[in-house]
Amino acid sequence: MKNIHKAILRVSNREVQRIAAGRTYWLSLLVFPLITILFFASLFSQGVPTKMPIAIVDLDHTALSRKYSRAIDVTQLSEVTQYPASAADAMSQLRSGKIYGFVVLPSNMQSDVISGRQPQISFYYHNSLLIAGGLMQNDLMVILNTLSVGTNLQKHLAMGQTEMASMAEIQPIQVQTHQLFNPTSSYMIYVVTIVLPIMMQLFILMMTIYAIGIEIKEKSSRLWFREADKSILVAITGKLLPYTLIFMILMMFQNMVLYRIVQVPMNTSMGWMILGSLLFVLSYQAIGILIIGLLPVMRHALNLGAFYGILALTLCGFSFPVESMPAVFRLWAEAFPVRHFMHIFQGQVLAGFEPRYVISSYIGLLVFLILPFIVLSRLKGAVIYQQFTEDIREKLPVSTNVTIPTEAS
Amino acid sequence: MKSLYNNNSQQASRDNGIAATFRIWIREYQLILNDVGIMIILLAVPLLYPVLYSFIYYPEVVRELPIAVVDLSHSTDSRKFSRNMDATPELLVSANCTSMEEAIELFKQKKVRGIVLIPESYSRDIVMHRPAVISTYADMEFFLYYKALVSGSSFVALQNGRDLQIQRMLDSGVPKTQANISAEPLKVVDNALTNPAGGFASYGIPAALILIIQQTIVLAIGIMAGTSRERHPTGTLIAPDPNRLGTFRLVIGKSSAYFSIYALLSIYMLGLIPMWFGYARNSNFSNLIALITPFLLSSIFMAMSLSVVFQKRESAMMLFIFTSIPCFFLSGLIWPLSNFGPVWLVVRDLFPSSEAMFGFMKMNSLGASIYETRKEIMTLWIQTGVYFLLACSVYAYQVRKSSDLWNRFSNNRINSIRQKINSSKSSSIITD
Repeated sequence: MKNIHKAILRVSNREVQRIAAGRTYWLSLLVFPLITILFFASLFSQGVPTKMPIAIVDLDHTALSRKYSRAIDVTQLSEVTQYPASAADAMSQLRSGKIYGFVVLPSNMQSDVISGRQPQISFYYHNSLLIAGGLMQNDLMVILNTLSVGTNLQKHLAMGQTEMASMAEIQPIQVQTHQLFNPTSSYMIYVVTIVLPIMMQLFILMMTIYAIGIEIKEKSSRLWFREADKSILVAITGKLLPYTLIFMILMMFQNMVLYRIVQVPMNTSMGWMILGSLLFVLSYQAIGILIIGLLPVMRHALNLGAFYGILALTLCGFSFPVESMPAVFRLWAEAFPVRHFMHIFQGQVLAGFEPRYVISSYIGLLVFLILPFIVLSRLKGAVIYQQFTEDIREKLPVSTNVTIPTEAS
Repeated sequence: MKSLYNNNSQQASRDNGIAATFRIWIREYQLILNDVGIMIILLAVPLLYPVLYSFIYYPEVVRELPIAVVDLSHSTDSRKFSRNMDATPELLVSANCTSMEEAIELFKQKKVRGIVLIPESYSRDIVMHRPAVISTYADMEFFLYYKALVSGSSFVALQNGRDLQIQRMLDSGVPKTQANISAEPLKVVDNALTNPAGGFASYGIPAALILIIQQTIVLAIGIMAGTSRERHPTGTLIAPDPNRLGTFRLVIGKSSAYFSIYALLSIYMLGLIPMWFGYARNSNFSNLIALITPFLLSSIFMAMSLSVVFQKRESAMMLFIFTSIPCFFLSGLIWPLSNFGPVWLVVRDLFPSSEAMFGFMKMNSLGASIYETRKEIMTLWIQTGVYFLLACSVYAYQVRKSSDLWNRFSNNRINSIRQKINSSKSSSIITD
């Protein structure tokens, strides 16, 4: 038992020296993950976009239309940057990308309201912009309906009704929307808390594949194996231990940025937080071992890892709910630890549910830890026999047309 | 076309520039075809990814979101409201609960994704002509769930409310048309330009197509560069072969190979895929060419400039793949550009994909003309110019390195060359 302990430390020690010497390790272990965390946290730091440029096409030029313009201008979300003369002008501005939406106040609006001819206010918005489009629709709909109700209310009040009765006339049924278990509608919470783990899983996956694959590729795997007293389990444990530690530190740094600096609500204890992060790191390391075990040629394994890692963005169900996808993808989505991690985050961390509601997600993460054992013997073979190396250099004189001159020529 | 190597004109075997350029171009095809890893990135990914994504996002919008209704009113009015919600395409009333606690329990178990509470006083309020208030509790996990619940319930509330209003006015003897107008003196009309259904594929896929092009170009050229360094006995990017030692012939020859491949792939990805899966196609062919040509060129030259830093076959994959997701967010299609910090606006301009995604969306979904897309097209041409110069200068440096090697070796006997090659080989392997 003591020997195993020593062998693991010996292999870890060897790995730390390799990490310290290689540029690729530094970049993918520290520099890029930190830049990524910084990028997403700062890009979404506002939480909700403000002052998005819109235009108002005022064809009426009356007291009423000016009142509407002013009311639209003072909303938080949008800022009226232009007053084009016609809807066609506004449309062209929108196509150029200078504004994200516009409102058309029709001519004769005021007189039509007074004489009861029901004028139409149209608003147009750019619905190919994911966040801006949705917000623009909600915001303009609310503000215009409020204005419309206000105008209606004035008419009713002018007819001598009480305000209560007027409101009941105008809006007999009102809907109050409450946001369950997430008081703010900040995109920092929607997007960043999920995208950062997705980025992290890509780094963990690629790094795990690389750390093992490079030994096979550069034929140093036997040295590594000998260092581990010829036990594949010790070899892998010792090798990946430094990465587990580094990625745990990165995960905790990421948690600190999310829950301390940008103030995402955290309704669980530190212990659960560490457990979740640890299982997340371990399950992706397990998948990394599985991939390099299946495809011991490193660059093919890296291709597969990248394919799987990038697909997580789609299939973890954060961009589009998995429940609404075709059945085959619903099953496939379960094969992404980040999906279980997301459930833990949404249920336990954000909403503060009791652990029993997310226990299945913890079990889901644990299941991934079985995966390496499937490929252990295959990986051992690859490490010992090195039969999966591509030797492109040897073929050189045949495949390239290097004409090495001799004195005779 | 003058390269450093031209000084040694005693090497009569050197081809003229155009023939050499052409040979480098054809040779690039051969290298690509002989490498499975490259073939996967250059062909399999661009061909299959768009199809895969299109199938995943096929449903486009959330339909029949399961919700719980807590009906405390137990009246005909409340039952009508509940029924109407069930009838909307967005919502499905999957549970009728007697208390809020019961509904929340279902919510925690993820059996329902939203809760609608009809208060005890609902029916009474309606009869007494008081505003009745319905409360909805939305799942904030997914924006699309929230959207489905809000739009479904507001629609029903508005519809039922209007019916009530008109009924009341008819009861009090107002004529029907008059009642309609009085209920809504001002009509607000919602016009979603592009993507009226708010379908998710329509947001994401056209942008993803552009991004796949840029990323696979950089990965393919980067992997090819790393492979060259591993393959060449001297460990240099360019083999010390006089016919290939010319900056322009290398840059133009190689970029022509990739440009021709991607010109064909673009027709498939940006032409056929949108047609097959029904994404917006409001742009004509020539407009798209005006946008995509500088995009392909700038991506290729960026890739060639970057490729010199990739020392090994796997370097490009390890060091570049992670940019895929941030690049998607840099486009301005997710988080609006008006809310970008100044630093990220600069970073955004480093990647041709940013402007190309935005421009492609404008042309295809809004039908923007070349004039209306001038900002994007101009930026892409500037990027093309800058990255071309950068690619030439980094290649000139590599050419000089290889020329020096060639000059050192060319006068030696073949055996001593082999010896030197071997010694430089062993020294170049270890350093990462």
